[in-house]
Formats: sequence, C-alpha cells, structure tokens
Amino acid sequence: MTSSSLLLLLILIAAISYFFGRKRSEVVAQSVGGVRYLHSLPNYYGLMAAVWAGIPGFVVLSLWVMFESTVIQGIVASSFPDSLKALSESQTNLLWSEINNLRSGVITNASDPALLTAAEQLTALEDRSSILKTILTLGLAGLTGAIGWKLIRPAQKARNQFEAFFRILLMLSSLIAIFTTVGIVFSVLFESVRFFREVPFFDFIFGTKWSPQIAVTADVPGSSGAFGAVPLFVGTLLIAFIALLIAVPIGLMSAVYLVEYASSKVRNVVKPLLEVLAGIPTVVYGFFAALTMAPQLKNFFEGIGVNGVSSESALAAGLVMGIMIIPFVSSLADDVISAVPNSLRDGSYGLGATRSETIKQVVFPAALPGIVGGILLAASRAIGETMIVVMAAGLAANLTANPLEAVTTVTVQIATLLVGDQEFDSAKTLSAFALGLMLFFTTLMLNVVALAVVKRFREQYD
Amino acid sequence: MTTLAKDSMEAVFEGWTSTVGKPTMDSDVRMSTRNVDVHYGDKQAIYGVDLDIGKNEVLAMIGPSGCGKSTFLRTLNRMNDTIDICRITGDIILDGDNIYDKHMDVVNLRARVGMVFQKPNPFPKSIYDNVAYGPKIHGLVTRRAELDEVVETALRKASIWDEVKDRLDQPATGLSGGQQQRLCIARTIAVSPEVILMDEPCSALDPIATARIEELIAELSENYTIAIVTHSMQQAARVSHRTAYFHLGRLIEVGKTDKIFTAPEHKLTEDYITGRFG
Repeated sequence: MTSSSLLLLLILIAAISYFFGRKRSEVVAQSVGGVRYLHSLPNYYGLMAAVWAGIPGFVVLSLWVMFESTVIQGIVASSFPDSLKALSESQTNLLWSEINNLRSGVITNASDPALLTAAEQLTALEDRSSILKTILTLGLAGLTGAIGWKLIRPAQKARNQFEAFFRILLMLSSLIAIFTTVGIVFSVLFESVRFFREVPFFDFIFGTKWSPQIAVTADVPGSSGAFGAVPLFVGTLLIAFIALLIAVPIGLMSAVYLVEYASSKVRNVVKPLLEVLAGIPTVVYGFFAALTMAPQLKNFFEGIGVNGVSSESALAAGLVMGIMIIPFVSSLADDVISAVPNSLRDGSYGLGATRSETIKQVVFPAALPGIVGGILLAASRAIGETMIVVMAAGLAANLTANPLEAVTTVTVQIATLLVGDQEFDSAKTLSAFALGLMLFFTTLMLNVVALAVVKRFREQYD
Repeated sequence: MTTLAKDSMEAVFEGWTSTVGKPTMDSDVRMSTRNVDVHYGDKQAIYGVDLDIGKNEVLAMIGPSGCGKSTFLRTLNRMNDTIDICRITGDIILDGDNIYDKHMDVVNLRARVGMVFQKPNPFPKSIYDNVAYGPKIHGLVTRRAELDEVVETALRKASIWDEVKDRLDQPATGLSGGQQQRLCIARTIAVSPEVILMDEPCSALDPIATARIEELIAELSENYTIAIVTHSMQQAARVSHRTAYFHLGRLIEVGKTDKIFTAPEHKLTEDYITGRFG
C-alpha cells in the first residue's frame, strides 16, 4: 500500500475510534449512574481513543518514509562488488541514476552486470519494505487502538490527558518554525565559511569593488573577480533610505489622519484601501517602477537640465519601494496611536489644546517608541526587498550616493548569482551565501532593536 | 427603548413639571444654562436643564449612574464636541458669553473652564512639563523664569509642591494616584481658569488621597467656581455649597446642600439620598 493511502486509512481508523470511544464511554457510564459521573465529557474519551489509535501508527509511518530509501540504498550499496565501491562520490551518483533508469526501462543494457543485480535487489527490497510498512503501521494502529479502548473507564482522566497531548502538539508546531530557521541559518553559514576560505573576510566586507565574474580557465586576463560587498550595501542602504524617506512621513501622517481626524465612515473605507497596497505583488510594483516611474523620472530630471540620469535609478526603485511599505508604517503607527489612552487626549483638550497640539505634544511622544519600532520593521522589510530593485535599480555595482545613478543591492546580486544552472563550488556562487548571511544579520539586528523598542513601549501603560 | 421601559419612565415623571428648588440665582452668577437638551444620535440624554453656578461656589451634581450628570458637566466646556453624534441645544452662558456661539473659540473657552477627570491622566512627561503644558500652549508666559513661577504657584495651590519640588524633572507617571490627581488639578489651575469642572475626581483614589482632594476643593473655592460630579453623597455633603440631583436626564431638585441632604422635597431625591436606589 502506498504511504498516502496508509495515511488516509490511519485517519479513518482514528475517526472510527473516536466514534466508538465516545460510545464506549457512554456505555461504561451506565455502570456508575450516567454520563455526569464520568471524569470527563464523552467527547474527551473519544478524542483520547482517536489519539491512541492514530498517533503511534502515524509516527512509525513517518519515520519509515523518512529513512526507507536511505536504508535500502545502504543495503544495496553494501552488496556492490569492490570495483564499484571504490568509485568517487560523483561517479556513485551516476551509478544510482543508471540503476534507476534500468528499473524504469529507459535503458536496457547496463554498463556493468552488477548494476542489473543491484536494480533487481532494489526492487525486491522496496516491495518487501512496502509490505512490512503496511503490516507494521496497521498492526500498531490496531494494537494501540485496542489499548486505548481498554483504557476507557469512568475514572480515566481523559480531559487532562487530551490537554497534555494538545500541549505537546502545539509545542511541536512551534518547534518546526524554530528548527527551520536554525536550519536555514546553518546552511547559509556553512556555505559562507566555504566562501571565506577562498576570499578573505575583510576583503569581502571592506572591499569597494564588486565584480564576481570568474573565468573558466585561469589564463584569461581579469579572471580573478572582486568580492567587495561595500557597493552592494551602500546601494541597499541608499534605496532603503529613499524608501523610508517616502514611507515614514506619508505613513505616519495617514495614520494620524485615520486615528485622530477621520470619521468612522471614512476610516472604514480608507483603511482597507490602504492595506490593499500591501497586497499588491512586489513583481507588479517592480514593473511599475521600471516601466513607469524610471522613464518619468529620467524625463523630468533631463527636463530641468540634469544630465547623466540613468534609466535605471536608485530613486525610481526607492520611490516605488517607499509606496510599497507605506501600509507597514501606517498600520503599525495606527495601532500604537490608537493604543494611546483617550484620557490623555481628554486631558490635553480639557486644557484648551487644539487637535494638532495634542497630537504633537501628547499623543506622539506617548506613541513614539511604538512608532520607532514600526519604522525599524519597515526598514528591515525595505532592505530585504528584491523584486522591485531587480527590475528598477539595475545591476551595475556603482559605489555612489547619487540617487539618479544605477546602483545594485545585496538582494539583486544574490538573485542574479543564483539564477540558472550553477555549480555550487565557485567563489561566484558561494558569495551569494556570504551576502545572504550578512543581509540576514543586518535585518536580524534591526528586528531585535525594533522588538526591544516595542517592548519598552508596551510596559508604559501597564 | 422597549414599551415597558418607556412606560415606567413616564410613570416616574408623572406630574413632573419643573425642577424643585431654585436652580437660578439672582446675583453673582458665573455660568448659567437655559433649556439645555443633549442628544446622542437619536437618544436624548439631557432634558431642558436650567441651572446657574455662582461665583466661588462649589456645586455638586449627584444622581444614579446614567442620569446625565457627567454629560451635563462636559457640555460646560464643550468636551462633548469630540463626540461626533452628540448634539446640544439651548444656551450656556459664561460671564455673558454664549459658549456655543459661532464666534466662541473652544481653545479659549477651555482655558476659562478647566476640567479634572475621573482617572488621573498625567501626560507621560515630567512633572514640570505637565504643569507647564497649558501656559505654553496658551502663550501665557514669555520667559522661563515666569514659567517657573507659574508652575510653582500652581503646584502650591494644588498643595503638592512640597512633595514634588525636588523631582520636577521626573516623569509624572511615577507619582501615586492621589499625587497624580493633585498634579492634574495643578495643571488645570496653571492656566488660571474661572471655572473648574471635576468629573468624579476621587473615584479612583483611596480614602486618604480623597480627603486631601476634598480639602483642596475647599481651599480652591476661595478663588474659583467649582462644579463637581460625584457618586459619593458624603463627599457632596462635605465639599459643596449647593447640590443638584439629576435623574434620567432631568434636573429634579436643586438646593443648599444641607437642605437637600436633610429635607429633600422631591420623592426621587429622597429615595436616592436614603439609599433606596442608585
């Protein structure tokens, strides 16, 4: 039986167990004088019966699926003749693909008769594994299901047991997110270490020239490549800065308008509309920046006599990115401004302050830490943004502070370095991981600072 | 409103024609209201209230929850303006000026009619800045030395100066509840109002802090007109000269405080004071 049909069967078994467990609890309740004398509600007995019937089988099934192919391959490989065992890693990989092709009938004559035997052995083992898996899973489900059934009696603390089970389930879910993050960090970290073996760390973070081309043969001139990340980070910061310059004032002012001035009717219409901005795919922003904003800006600046405006400019990318992150700033600022107690506003109005005086002198200072937190979150979003800059900012790694020139960003370089078929052993591709690591570090720092600031804000009214 | 509730309300007011006692005054009037109605949307909260508040008088407003006494208080410095659905008709006169007149500047009005709220609400600023806030926004002072003096005077009048004089630059939120409320009174005094409105100023305070605020009210009445809403009848009896009893949006009875508490004329007033409801 395939794993997916086994899974469906397990779910069915669990559902049936729930039903019968529930029924049984009602039956055993008769002996003690009715459902009200049971420790828990019948529902909990049913749930516990389902847990007993479903979970052990599920655990075994998932472990089996996880390790099945590795174990089988190991067994087959151990029976290879010595000539095949001695091969290098990449050659062994070729062997395995040949074995698989033999099995699926793509090729019929093997380069080595040993491979034919291996293919047959593999098929036999997989068949046996499938049968074993089915028997084990269903057998275990039946066994533990019976145990669960036996356990049902009036004194069983089914509610507490199910609460404990549920707690573990929730804990595992949160662990998955943590483990994924840790996994990503480590994979990036290890590849970065490989990169820094080829390119010195300080050349990378302080170098001012970025040109990651490495020629295939060493005798071509200019083949060495340069991995100075400074132009990329300057470009990133320049675009993020322009974006924040747009998003922070507009976002804050729209938040102030919505909270302090707008009637509830206006607010109910404008707020969702503003949040639509956050729902536009970044690709769409990207071609808006590249096809609409950038030429307009070029025309405008040439019209007022500024020459040398690039058709891909940091300004265009920054402006559009700024529009994109307006909702981040405004909805976070909206939350913290609304959280300022009305009693403070009343106190200020009661002294004869106008609305704008109240906002400037009472509401804003009280909400400031939260607003700063929101701005920092928006900043880390701007730094990590890729699609808009890929389309609108260009690829030229210029070290410049002039927003009218083309610049490139860390994310753009990572994207271009890894697009297409690449071998992951040259400094060129590995540099993407080093860039990713630094970018991750930067946004992580920003988030840590932002969360710390937001936390301090929370304590203020408690 | 259900028919039943409406019927019972009409039963309560059967035979009610006008306020018992004498709501108006012949001389020394600071504020007077004539035929004031307040509506929240379709719901009427205040029904035709006529009431005068005299100079240097402490007027207490009492009544069961939801009787409109806080709403009425907040119409006196137009704090209800911030509520969109609130509509006010009738005349409210402060020293001869109708405060709902088109030409009345609400900023000016609130400088003349200050307000102290139920819960102490110091701004999250320093103690000094809390008191200096009003004088600054109204441009009452030009030099720092003057401001220092205004702040000190206000804090002294609110009898909190001795407790805070050494820590004027510290956040006001660090003060105790009673100190915060006296600071809020100092903040109100700092703009030299003519009338101070107090909306249950002691309801969030312990008995000792309450006693200090009550003493303070007595001292302040030498210079200011005070209108105070309170749930505590003992407090009304202790601090006020006249008492007004509100019931379901109507001003039922007004009179000298000692008379209201010893010999109320209206049945509803008597029932409330003797604790039969409320």
